[in-house]
Amino acid sequence: MALLDVKGLTKTFGGLVAVNNIDFQMEDKQIVSVIGPNGAGKTTFFNVISGYYPDHVGTITFGGHNLKDLNPEKVAAYRMARTFQNIRLFPDMLTVENILVGMHLHLSSNLFDIVLNTKRLKREEKEAYERAMELLNYVGLEGKDNELAKNLPYGEQRLLEIARALAIKPKLLLLDEPAAGLNPKETEAMKNFIIKIRDELGHSILLIEHDMKLVMGLSDKITVINYGVKIAEGTPDEIKNNPEVIKAYLGDDTTTDAVA
Amino acid sequence: MENISKLFHEYIKREIIQLGIIFLSPILLYVFNGNGIAFILFLLSLFLLHQSNKLNTKIKAIIAIVDLIVIIPLVGFANSYYLDVITQIGIYAILAIGLNVVVGFTGLLNLGYVGFYAVGAYTYAIFATSQANNFISPAILKFPISGNWFWLFLIIGMVVSGFVGFLLGLPVLRLRGDYLAIVTLGFAEIIRIVLNNLDKPINFTNGPKGITPVQPPAFFGIVLNQTIHYYFIVLVLLGLTIIAANRLNNSRVGRAWTAIREDELAARTMGIPIVKMKLLAFSIGAAFAGMMGVLFAAKQSFIDPSSFGFMESIGILAMVIMGGMGNISGVIIGALAVVVLQLHILKEFSNFLRQLTVAGIINIPSQLDPAKYERLVFGLILVLMCIFRPQGFLPAKRTMEYIKKHVKKLKKTENKKDVFVE
Amino acid sequence: MEEMTGMIPQLLIDGLTLGFVYAIVALGYTMVYGILEFINFAHSEIFMVGAFAGTEVLLFMQSAGYLEKIPAPLALLIAIIIAMVFSGALGVFIERVAYKPVRSAPKLVAFISAIGVSFFLQDAVRLVEGLWKNAFYLSTPTLFTTSINITNTLKMPVKVIYIMIIAIIIMVSLNLFVNKHRLGKAMRAVAQDRDTASLMAINVNSIISLTFLIGAGLGGAAGTLFSVQYALIHPYVGFIIGMKAFTAAVFGGIGSIPGAMLGGILLGLLEVFGAGFLGILTNGVLGAEYKDVFAFAILIIILIFKPSGLLGKTVREKV
Repeated sequence: MALLDVKGLTKTFGGLVAVNNIDFQMEDKQIVSVIGPNGAGKTTFFNVISGYYPDHVGTITFGGHNLKDLNPEKVAAYRMARTFQNIRLFPDMLTVENILVGMHLHLSSNLFDIVLNTKRLKREEKEAYERAMELLNYVGLEGKDNELAKNLPYGEQRLLEIARALAIKPKLLLLDEPAAGLNPKETEAMKNFIIKIRDELGHSILLIEHDMKLVMGLSDKITVINYGVKIAEGTPDEIKNNPEVIKAYLGDDTTTDAVA
Repeated sequence: MENISKLFHEYIKREIIQLGIIFLSPILLYVFNGNGIAFILFLLSLFLLHQSNKLNTKIKAIIAIVDLIVIIPLVGFANSYYLDVITQIGIYAILAIGLNVVVGFTGLLNLGYVGFYAVGAYTYAIFATSQANNFISPAILKFPISGNWFWLFLIIGMVVSGFVGFLLGLPVLRLRGDYLAIVTLGFAEIIRIVLNNLDKPINFTNGPKGITPVQPPAFFGIVLNQTIHYYFIVLVLLGLTIIAANRLNNSRVGRAWTAIREDELAARTMGIPIVKMKLLAFSIGAAFAGMMGVLFAAKQSFIDPSSFGFMESIGILAMVIMGGMGNISGVIIGALAVVVLQLHILKEFSNFLRQLTVAGIINIPSQLDPAKYERLVFGLILVLMCIFRPQGFLPAKRTMEYIKKHVKKLKKTENKKDVFVE
Repeated sequence: MEEMTGMIPQLLIDGLTLGFVYAIVALGYTMVYGILEFINFAHSEIFMVGAFAGTEVLLFMQSAGYLEKIPAPLALLIAIIIAMVFSGALGVFIERVAYKPVRSAPKLVAFISAIGVSFFLQDAVRLVEGLWKNAFYLSTPTLFTTSINITNTLKMPVKVIYIMIIAIIIMVSLNLFVNKHRLGKAMRAVAQDRDTASLMAINVNSIISLTFLIGAGLGGAAGTLFSVQYALIHPYVGFIIGMKAFTAAVFGGIGSIPGAMLGGILLGLLEVFGAGFLGILTNGVLGAEYKDVFAFAILIIILIFKPSGLLGKTVREKV
């Protein structure tokens, strides 16, 4: 069974159809990219899957659970984690705390543990802290644990956001433009990092990206969306040579070069 | 070079002045008992003691204990007015810490905080006077109950207020922040109007006439109705409140609250059940208020609905905003500043002007009595704080000290779980 | 039952009068909310200041002897216009001093600043009146004494007729302004999307000032009407009216101008009928003293079940 199975997904805003009757599947441990010109409906597609718009049409099945009418917190509880195009960290919390917030689902101390400072709480907090520190080191932010998230440089904020998402122990990790705002060198590092996450940790990854070099370099499968409709799907090589895709992108000068 | 030595001297001087105030002011207060300036200097010394990083923790603790357990009671024996002011500061500090859980930690504006305070106060007052016999037959139980029950009622007050908070929060916490503020304000008004009118058809609250005499606390039959008794009760409750609030703030719950305050959608995406967490913050805040309501009723021995107006809620909000939203030490300082301003500076200033008027030096009409212009003063404080220092005098700072303490205390666990996947 | 039907016409008149006052105050809340998504908590005090300004004008005309010389409707009109100018200027001033500096801060901060302004104004008016008049409760001069007999038992005071006429003129002209005038259209554009509006060469800051000017001016007019109708004002009179008017704005759908009018009138009617009938319906257990509870309960119920109000649009937070 597919890890994520989307059937007939449609989401309208007023009269505007942002996502139109999309079918989509992805398997476990795959890296899948969703591409398309600006305004094609990619982020809306992500937001629907994350449970932000309960009023969509169609069915979403994730890890055997039907996500109909769910809210973001329930979707997260099924172990789907995500990052945001415009980075949404908790700016006035420490970096390590940001990760600890991501672990919320895996911590179980209740009010009495907390107020009475029980042994159970101490042990749980200690383990959580150590795990958070390891995650911080894993994404390459050693020694930054005592900094406020807002004081990190942009590139490191992206990494922290991924670390926070990893703290959920996700079955599926959604990355919304992970390379946006990064320079070519950082983008290359991000590409290798995403592959590393999949290979070492075995996470499945679904990403939206504009940077074609990145997408072509790491995807097992690419889905192309235009005007809310899925126009193509296949391996990077198939997509490169798909006439529909070339046509869609030719209308958009900024990305033509990247496709070629 | 010259600059550096100048800086050095200034630094030394500042340190000496600080330490001087810390050590001398308790003595000054004791010697010049009843002197307002010595009193304020003493309060300042408590603040400096808290802030000082020159003294090590043990010495700080010893000084604090001497100040709180020896100096203040000694001064109180001679002049109970100051002891009462300090007790008031303690009561408001607990209320402010409770409101801080809602406003500071979680970022929910509760303008009806005093409603929960009223619920706690009436919960005790109705049963600790003969009032309860209006709806429970004296044949079954004769009221008032004895002051021994006070301690249990502290907890009952917490539970009842917390539950009322839960019931109110259940529908309204889904609302946007500013709507929530207005609804809580409306709720507090409803509570006040209901208390004012619930003397018929069955007389529960005795309406605007209020309830008296409320039984003071008692401990195994010994009645505790002196200012000094209340001082120690408040001191213990304040200590417990600080510990509880600190522990909450540094737990998964506190982190979830802060995350909700910082970015609600991101918090939801992390799997934090926001309605549940907001309800928890709201109920815990309400519970603190309920507990203090019980104490307030016992201490005043008389309560009526007029003690629970909007101004009271705003006063507590001003403490939280002034001190520093989210910072527990900050809001205690805020409580201190507001109470001293309200009870002390404005009143002293009024007395001073009145004396001058009586002496015929100036002629200030009684409409101008500064003590009557609390709203003006607090309004100004709120606006100025919002514009110039919205984070308060002592801004909140996240640290990992708590967790690091746990890490240090607990030995490394042998079999570590996989960090990333299950 | 007969007792109740007999009360209806009188309650209708009272409810409409109160409803018109609520409606005009509600307009101030709803306009500012529409533009800034901000509850101007001090609007109730702008209303109160307007009430004082209008009443002081009437008192001045009375003591100077003008009040007998000029027709009463004209005196009322003069008082209202001066109160509107005074309150409008105050509204713009408050926005510049207390709200603009915190516009980029979290919403909580602006809201608390507004509470501060509100408290400050209450005591400031008390201080000024205390110094000037040696008392801070003002009795409004009587402008209209006659009543029109509609039936034998039902009287319609002339005062109420004038209040209603003025209220209707205010609401109609506001609607015309917002829908037809260039600035009114700019205002709606800013309300819809501030950034896009500024790209269209609309000066957002002046539009915000204009909104405060009009909203606060309306508050001042309402204050004067209130003072004429109920004949006694004090510095703390704004709070409860403000709460009710805000309820009305939410009831009608906050951000919607027709909504505020509809909400105000409905709330006025509901409150007056509720207070009138509550005692009869509950056999005297609950009386008119619960009328404020009634209004707040309506507010809570609307916010829970239909937060967008009667005429408002559902707004979703941007992701």
